[in-house]
Amino acid sequence: MLYKLDKLKRCHGSRTVLNIDTLEIDANRIYTLIGPNGAGKTSLLKILALLDKPTDGSMYFLDQRVSFEERQLYALRRQIVLLDQNPIMFTGSVWKNIEFGLKVRKVAARVRRQQIEEALELVGMENFAHYNAQGLSGGETKRIALARALVLQPEVLLCDEPTANVDTENQEIILNIIGRINRERQGSIIFSTHYLSQGQRLADHTLLLQNGALSDIANENIYRVSVVEFREKYCTCQLTGQLFLTLPNHLLPGKVSIVKLHIDPKGIVLNPEEKDSVEGNLMSGHVTELSQESGRIRVVVDVGVKLVLIMALAKYRLEKPCIGDKVQVFIPYSNTFCTGMDPVT
Amino acid sequence: MDLLLDSVRSALLLFLSFDQELVDIVLVSLKVSFSATLIAAGFGIPGGFVIASSSFPGKRFVLTSLNTLLALPTVVIGLLVYSFISRRGLLGPLGLLYTQKAMVIGQVILIVPVIMTLTIAAISRIDQRYRMTALTLGASRNQMALVILKEARYGILAAVIAAFGRVIAEVGISMMLGGNAKGFTRTMTTAMALEYNKGEFVLAVALGITLMTFAFLVNMLFHLLQGRTGSDAV
Repeated sequence: MLYKLDKLKRCHGSRTVLNIDTLEIDANRIYTLIGPNGAGKTSLLKILALLDKPTDGSMYFLDQRVSFEERQLYALRRQIVLLDQNPIMFTGSVWKNIEFGLKVRKVAARVRRQQIEEALELVGMENFAHYNAQGLSGGETKRIALARALVLQPEVLLCDEPTANVDTENQEIILNIIGRINRERQGSIIFSTHYLSQGQRLADHTLLLQNGALSDIANENIYRVSVVEFREKYCTCQLTGQLFLTLPNHLLPGKVSIVKLHIDPKGIVLNPEEKDSVEGNLMSGHVTELSQESGRIRVVVDVGVKLVLIMALAKYRLEKPCIGDKVQVFIPYSNTFCTGMDPVT
Repeated sequence: MDLLLDSVRSALLLFLSFDQELVDIVLVSLKVSFSATLIAAGFGIPGGFVIASSSFPGKRFVLTSLNTLLALPTVVIGLLVYSFISRRGLLGPLGLLYTQKAMVIGQVILIVPVIMTLTIAAISRIDQRYRMTALTLGASRNQMALVILKEARYGILAAVIAAFGRVIAEVGISMMLGGNAKGFTRTMTTAMALEYNKGEFVLAVALGITLMTFAFLVNMLFHLLQGRTGSDAV
């Protein structure tokens, strides 16, 4: 077992940013950590990188309990490297930056030279060795930061949104390197991302985070809606502008004015034939995106907000929706979930 | 206007004639100020680093106290040190009064808060990611501190320059603890004060111009050093 977390909590003042009941992470696998902004991805990665201390709970790394005492941390940290979401380069050349971790490990100069050359080659930046590291573009900085991490051949590579704020070319390069590292070096990699598709493409396991806790709900189709009217059995919620939904009162966590609404992408029906037996909301919109992932089709429909549907391949072949098509989507109540936010004042 | 022109002319003549008295005055000024700056940097930079990078109860009080000490008048420091090193003082037997060492002690007390406060400001401005990056790449606490100091070097050098400027221009401590003894503890500022008291305004202003010239040259040296460090970055 690479990591084991038990009743782990991280609080900033009165705010709990991380609350993980139990989490076990196996070695030599790629894990992806998916969640919206503020879900606790960075907080969790910092704790896994031993750069932050949990407020409560216990953590085991390679079956050894982490005491978070400085001497133990110094030894353990040498097996883990965290690649920051916005990596920062030290003053000096690209070469000196990559050399830093090797120097503090007292690796011999000759070995250092060879390893740095290999790392630069791995990220395809051999010609940048003597460039000023602080003068690189965002994508180049990420690749050099990746080389700076990989040259240390860590047991675990943690990447905080490695493809955020970089162009598609660099995104592909970074994702390919991550996949290659896992294949060739059998290293454990945990990376966070906003994109479910990107995570699922590379990872053996997906961890979903919501409000600091592990969840089985993906971070797609999550909206903040205002409850505008309460009636006997149903209430009306404003999704955006002129877009309203009707929801049965029992779905709401009480009398609240604002709720976080999650619609399960797998439960949404495209162009329903009959909906009488099932209660829900019917909306119309245009298909804006189509993609294939893990043998299923991901359809994005613009109904006033971006709504993601996941269709089975067989159903897609029957329906064949095309980009630009006007479609109807049916959202059954049974696929709609709410979490309370602000009570009615 | 005549006074200023005469002063500039006198200053030039003093320079060109390599007047031994002027040379002695300048050398004493530079020796005392450099020594004080060096010693104060030895205390102020590590002290500032520790305060900036740690959190402890009473930190806010320490910062406020340091900021208050920036406004400490040189006469107060002179009196304080005098009370310790005068013949009847605790350190009286060491015979420090009216020596260059006494001037250095006073000036160190004057500029340690300057260096510390400006170092704290320089370290606090450094992005937290440097600390995180150094640690995750396997650095020890000391190695991480070196990374931070390296990244904050311009701010720290600016602190040292400001402190040097403060001591080369101060007169209270030099006068009270040095005694303005000719060829021994007479500095440019105390010599200026003396010439003014004698009514020798031209010579006083000429010494002022000399002081500004030397201060300018020393600052240029610092800035050249700063510039070279910057271009050496790669």
